[in-house]
Amino acid sequence: MQELLETMENSSLIQLEGIPLFPDLDDNVEVLKNLFSDCSDFVIREFRLKHSARAIAVFVDGLIDTAQVNEALKSLMIMEGGDDNIGVIEEALLPVSQIDRVDDYKKLLQAVLSGDTGILVDGNKEALTLGIRGAEIRSVNEPEGEAVVRGAREGFIENIRTNTSMLRRKMRTPRLKMRSLVVGRETNTNVVVAYLQGISDAQVVEEVSSRISKIEIDAVLESGYIEELIQDNIYSPFPQIMYTERPDTVAASLLGGRVAIFIDGTPMVLIAPATFWMMMQASEDYFERFQMTTLLRWLRFLFLIIALLTPALYVAITTYHQQMLPTTLLLSVAAARESIPFPAIVEALIMEVAFEALREAGIRLPKTVGQAVSILGALVVGQAAVQAGIVSAPMVIVVSLTGIASFTIPHFNAAISIRMLRFPLMIAASILGIYGILVGVLLILGHMANLRSFGVPYLSPVAPMSAGDLKDVLVRVPWAFMVKRPRLLAIPNAHRMDPAYAKQVQQRGGQAGTTSRGNSDEEGNA
Amino acid sequence: MKRLTPIVVLLLSMLLVTGCWDRREVNDMAIVIAMALDKEPGGLYRLSVQVPLVSSLGSTSGGGGGTSGDKAYYVDSAVGKTIREANDIIQSRMSRELYYSHHRVIVLGEQLAREGMSDALDIIARFPENRLTVYLVMTRGKGIELLNVQPQFERFSGEAMRELLKMEALPVSLKDVAQMLTTPGVDAFLPVIAPVPSHPKGQSREVQIMGLALFHDDKLIHVAQSDSIKGVRWFQRYFTPFSAVLSLGGDNRMTVEFLRGKADITPVLKDGRVHFDIKVYASGIVMENMTGINLEHVNNIKKIEEMLKKEVKTSVEKTLQIMQKYRTDTIGLGIVLARYFPREWRETYRERWYEELPKITYTIRSKVVIEEIGQTTRNITKVDSENE
Repeated sequence: MQELLETMENSSLIQLEGIPLFPDLDDNVEVLKNLFSDCSDFVIREFRLKHSARAIAVFVDGLIDTAQVNEALKSLMIMEGGDDNIGVIEEALLPVSQIDRVDDYKKLLQAVLSGDTGILVDGNKEALTLGIRGAEIRSVNEPEGEAVVRGAREGFIENIRTNTSMLRRKMRTPRLKMRSLVVGRETNTNVVVAYLQGISDAQVVEEVSSRISKIEIDAVLESGYIEELIQDNIYSPFPQIMYTERPDTVAASLLGGRVAIFIDGTPMVLIAPATFWMMMQASEDYFERFQMTTLLRWLRFLFLIIALLTPALYVAITTYHQQMLPTTLLLSVAAARESIPFPAIVEALIMEVAFEALREAGIRLPKTVGQAVSILGALVVGQAAVQAGIVSAPMVIVVSLTGIASFTIPHFNAAISIRMLRFPLMIAASILGIYGILVGVLLILGHMANLRSFGVPYLSPVAPMSAGDLKDVLVRVPWAFMVKRPRLLAIPNAHRMDPAYAKQVQQRGGQAGTTSRGNSDEEGNA
Repeated sequence: MKRLTPIVVLLLSMLLVTGCWDRREVNDMAIVIAMALDKEPGGLYRLSVQVPLVSSLGSTSGGGGGTSGDKAYYVDSAVGKTIREANDIIQSRMSRELYYSHHRVIVLGEQLAREGMSDALDIIARFPENRLTVYLVMTRGKGIELLNVQPQFERFSGEAMRELLKMEALPVSLKDVAQMLTTPGVDAFLPVIAPVPSHPKGQSREVQIMGLALFHDDKLIHVAQSDSIKGVRWFQRYFTPFSAVLSLGGDNRMTVEFLRGKADITPVLKDGRVHFDIKVYASGIVMENMTGINLEHVNNIKKIEEMLKKEVKTSVEKTLQIMQKYRTDTIGLGIVLARYFPREWRETYRERWYEELPKITYTIRSKVVIEEIGQTTRNITKVDSENE
């Protein structure tokens, strides 16, 4: 016993695995007190059952719903029945819906530290955990990172149970599986791998689960930890796993055969495998009319190119390819650059770095101060620098255009990779002109074509081409034509809908108008 | 490391395959807007360049740039044994690199045109910065004169000439000249532009299109006035509109603008003589009517169309007469002949086309349609004298 206490002194939860609970309550109390010495929030409440068997309730203050736990303890202490067998207590005495029986310290403490209340009764080798949690959680809000005009206004929060319940509310089907894992020696973070049985590729599900379960790390504080640890290529500037804080996006991804990874403590849910094209799509694409969506997608691709290339093109054209500009434009550029003391590349780097700094400052600062930053940025860096002749006006236009363009990319992590990549392109442009830009773009494209996310090529379905999936890349066809799921994975259940239905509506409804010919009254009763 | 080496090698080799490294900042360039080539006594060439003074174009401090009276450009010129030498002389007193990619027109001086322009034009095609789409014009006297003109509407006379050529004249690019010079059976022509004082005198000098310079091979042989050479327009690939004034006796005049026109040439070989059958189709609109003729009547329209036919015919005749007189095939009758009778052309006419040209005969037929008579049928300010 003493030996055990000494070894347990510094052990984490994993090391407690297999250490059984003692039948003698005093031993258990000693172990717990020893483990949780100096833990002011850890409570061991000793009490007696109705007919004087000794018991303790252990819980973490603040994680439980005190009133409800009081109710539960009341039924043990006051109500009749009176049995010290843990099985009887579970089955007959405790009016608690979420109750579990555990037999070792790891399971017990994992539950208690997650907010359960542990009940240990003298003379029993097992303990009960009551799932009466009541920790303070943020209420469900509109997701700020992915706001929409049309669509659900709920976003995930930090609590994983709330998050999985939001997904379950979208998909009321037994096919929605949620595999539970625990990652992190000290954080013991709950991770849930969600997928649709029979629609997701089983291999991918296995791969995701096994990669996550192999993680040996002390803490997982955000989804980024998991993302970086399970992605295929560590050094790539491109995100190979998407994240979202919208339940409807998660649901749509699952229906497309992907796997979602919920992580406790963050509102971000990871989605794998991801392709580059997913990063260019917003959830609203599927809610608004398809024409507008298609046009918006083209706009995003145009601005993706602008965000990546404008500063590089400006540098290349003004220093190498002046003949490409119309004469009058060249004269305007020349007049604007006349008094600028720096070469174009230095000017471009100054402005782009300044812009990145402004943006970074704007994100970190409280909203009230943030306005001051934007004023400073616009006035000081923009106007004053131009008037002082330190940067030229066209450069300011280029930088602002680049900035606006990078904001049109719907997913932040894709936008930052584009932001990063324009710097090497600018330098390539300053050395080799448009030839340099071409080399740079080809290197980037080559890298993207090489990239895989859980076995799925990053540029699919464009490269490698799978013609059937192109209906949801550069265009978004009407839902009536999206009969099949994307074929990126070996999806067993490929059909989304009955293709005949849309045709029926077109023929019977609309102009023919036969559907409205029924003699229903205003309430719709026949 | 092993993976990195090939990448580094690849990147380094990219530096080698690029050709010339020509990084140059915009503020180190002197952008040549127009250049003029002249021949000086002693077989020397004079090169003149028109360069905008970018700092006086104004933009950086907004509004401030270019005080009135200050020229926004600068013309420099030098004489050399070759044009490149002249260029080097100019360069040696210019702190910015002369940059030729953006010149809009090349002005050829009369003397150079008379002595042959081919040699002078070589550098323009050979030097990669130059463009074959640049417009060539000729001027009476020195080409540099045109560069020194400050037109009111544009900042540079080079720009003004280009716009003027595109709108009003038959623009001829270097590419066209090269084609005309190398094709047997057609001779080159260039628009002629001259500096003229505006009216009232002294306010400014503008550039004006004066006519067409006709070449025999690459040598100038005649400068035709705009009026006498209008007939050329019927034979161009793209018709440039022009107007004709009809005189109906006394002060009764009418202006008709030809908007579309096209000519068909059919050569006929008869007893070793070359005869051309020229058909001109034209359509125009009435722009001005000072005659009081009621254009509502079909008969009147018919009458005017008849007169226009004659007008068209004269314009072609005048042109052909000039061509025959100076033995230059501006409209390319030779090419037409070559296309219809390739064997005869090759065997007989190609070598002695210039001797043959004055001997050819032609018939001209024309068809003119008046498509529109304008918004009014009769002069609205005149009392209606007809009995109605």
